Amino acid sequence: MNEEHRKILEMLKDGKISVDDAERLMTAVGEPEAEASSSPAGKPGWKYLRVQVEPGPGSESQDKVNIRVPFKLIRAGLKFAALIPKASQGKVNEALKEKGIDIDLSKITAEDLQDIIANLDDMTVEVDGQDKVRIFCE
Amino acid sequence: MFPILMRLKIRSEGKRGVSLWLPVFLAWIILWAFMLVLLPFVLLAALLSLGRGPGMSLLAVYPLLFSLLWNLSDLHIETRDAENDVLISFL
Repeated sequence: MNEEHRKILEMLKDGKISVDDAERLMTAVGEPEAEASSSPAGKPGWKYLRVQVEPGPGSESQDKVNIRVPFKLIRAGLKFAALIPKASQGKVNEALKEKGIDIDLSKITAEDLQDIIANLDDMTVEVDGQDKVRIFCE
Repeated sequence: MFPILMRLKIRSEGKRGVSLWLPVFLAWIILWAFMLVLLPFVLLAALLSLGRGPGMSLLAVYPLLFSLLWNLSDLHIETRDAENDVLISFL
């Protein structure tokens, strides 16, 4: 609860304003927490991209992956990747395509990354009911 | 900030594992010394190829590499299967 909300509630408690007035004031002041969570720019507190792979309930394998990558490192990496000469970029993209990753890294901008982060709230993917892959931000 | 230490842990079943704390700040010192030595040549190459080659890209390598290494701290990669266990972490 922020300072403005507290003051409104105190005025209501002291009888200086009515319930209707308090409601109007609350609406006018807004709810910053709710606004922040729905902001398209994403949650400012997120610093890392996490990828966790754990064996599912029916899995016999003991494979585990735990990766934490700072977002700043991803941004810096994308900028650095843009420096790769175009001739080499084609080879990199072909190699990625062979591995099933059909993306052009040079076309990913900081804004694209921001959009991905904004929409990557908490994604859990279960692979064939065996491995549980969780990708999330923290 | 630049990572100071790198933790490297490799274990394989039936083999003796490795667990190291590497002082990577020493690598940065050597790298920056090397890049400082190269700087006049890079500047010359950038000036010569300005407008028709990789001129600006060459100049951008320094700040971008600095940014990449600066943000390397807190990177944590850990994989484990039945036989192998690998951990790479920058602190």
